[in-house]
Amino acid sequence: MTESEQRVDGPARQSPDGRIVVDDLTKVFGSQRAVDRLSFTVEPGSVTGFLGPNGAGKTTTLRMLLGLVKPTSGRATVNGVRYESLPRPLQTVGAALEASSFHPAHTGRQHLRIYCAAAGLPARRADEVLDLVGLGDAAKKKTKGYSMGMRQRLALAAALLGDPKVLILDEPANGLDPEGIRWLRGFFRHLAGEGRTVLVSSHQLAEVQEFADRAVILNRGKLIRAGSLGELSAGTAVVVVRGPALGPLQQALAAAGFSGSTEPDGCLRVRSDQLGRIGNLAFSNNVELHELRLEEFDLEQLFFSLTDGEHRGADLGPAPGGYVRNAVPTGPGGSR
Amino acid sequence: MISLVRSEVLKIRSTQVWFWMMLLAIAFTALATIGAVVDSVNNYRDGGLVDYYDVFTRSGSASVALLVLGLLGLTTEFRHKTITPTLLATPNRWRLLAGKAVSYGVFAGVYAVICVVVNFAIAITWLSAEGVPLEYGHGVLGGVLKAFAALVLTGMFGLGLGALLRNQAASMVFGIVYFFVLDTLLNYVTGVRKGYAYTPGGALKAFTSNGRVGGMPHDVHLLSPAVGGLLFLLWALALLAVGGRLSLRRDIS
Repeated sequence: MTESEQRVDGPARQSPDGRIVVDDLTKVFGSQRAVDRLSFTVEPGSVTGFLGPNGAGKTTTLRMLLGLVKPTSGRATVNGVRYESLPRPLQTVGAALEASSFHPAHTGRQHLRIYCAAAGLPARRADEVLDLVGLGDAAKKKTKGYSMGMRQRLALAAALLGDPKVLILDEPANGLDPEGIRWLRGFFRHLAGEGRTVLVSSHQLAEVQEFADRAVILNRGKLIRAGSLGELSAGTAVVVVRGPALGPLQQALAAAGFSGSTEPDGCLRVRSDQLGRIGNLAFSNNVELHELRLEEFDLEQLFFSLTDGEHRGADLGPAPGGYVRNAVPTGPGGSR
Repeated sequence: MISLVRSEVLKIRSTQVWFWMMLLAIAFTALATIGAVVDSVNNYRDGGLVDYYDVFTRSGSASVALLVLGLLGLTTEFRHKTITPTLLATPNRWRLLAGKAVSYGVFAGVYAVICVVVNFAIAITWLSAEGVPLEYGHGVLGGVLKAFAALVLTGMFGLGLGALLRNQAASMVFGIVYFFVLDTLLNYVTGVRKGYAYTPGGALKAFTSNGRVGGMPHDVHLLSPAVGGLLFLLWALALLAVGGRLSLRRDIS
């Protein structure tokens, strides 16, 4: 899906129930363009990862979507209307932006009951969502005594108060232990299965790949790619080849129009998903192989490739193997 | 709006601040009432007149507690970042401010009733025990109503000041220093004191007075109680409006 295809062509108010539309959104802070003409849509019934490194503009975009930050230009809507104009905001959109927005003297139950009252929900809903996120036993505990993981769960509970069709979550896995992260993945899948729209921002791309159907990738405030994981992975396949003497195979691959790179340890990374053809070329050239495998799609590596590796080793963490954009021209067997 | 007010009242009740502020309001009222009653009893024994207006309007001395309570209304939201979930639940910021003003007005009203009751309980009990006859004429009942209104308006004034300054510590220091130090100093600074009557402190003093305010320089003339009350109301509304425009319209990031 290209950026132009993601633009909103018709009036935003025609959006179906649960659809998020970000249309040409820009936010300038002083001389810095935090978000730059960003456009994408998020459809109901899916989990969409909103990805990018720290400072990419994810949180600013989510805050503009939720009416907390005023856009410099552009428009962001849910169900075709701005968040500020939603008649019952908490019953339409549930948002968890930061796991620190609690009064330290309030208990988890008190915190939620305050927003139940504001949304016209019964007070018992607070206990229901606390049980749902596994905080039932901590309902009477003051939030100042909550661990980071408990705070994340409480923020999620607040987002679920109004049983909303749309969920917008900013880095919800931060501070969660492995068990909590696994629970969160299953929970997202469950919510999407109910037809809800789930938009989850994260800088942990590999983590998001575990539960997202779609991804919107952002860098320096600009959209760099958006689409389903299938669409994003198309043309990114890499076949890894190892052996004691790969010179003849390398020549045969180049002659056959494959492109790729040679790693420092001598391993070949061929841009293709044609595992059988490469194996056949090795066999016909009498090349001994110790490894021949199709490398699985990796969002993190895709991100590095799209940003020319500018964030490698920074806040996204080290990428195993490394994906080298090779100087060899893309041939018919290559991708992209 | 009813849901919003319920939510705001729940916020106030969910911490102990309201309780400590109530104790503070009761303490200020009690101390001020005791002082006025002792003066009145001494005057009565010396054959002088009892200033019933002064005795029965001492509930107004609790204004500092209401000021602090109001100041905490919005500054707490910014300090603990609860402004984010609050605005997610109530995205219309002017509606939120109006809801807070109503809620704090209701709460301040309850405080004011309690302060009036404390004031009357101490004054009536003590004066009766000393054999001083009780009288409620000479504008006393009007004065009590004005003291009640002044407490509610002070709560609103604090809410507006908090909205304007946003920072909890800064607004608390400024609010308390203003009413306890600057207000008195403004009376005595040449060139400034002629405008004192139009300051929030001057307007409040005029409103709660019965036309006779002692301890003022000879060239400082307070407004009439009615105009003073109206001006203090305008000060509170202006702070709410300017604070709302400058603070609440900012990006919450």
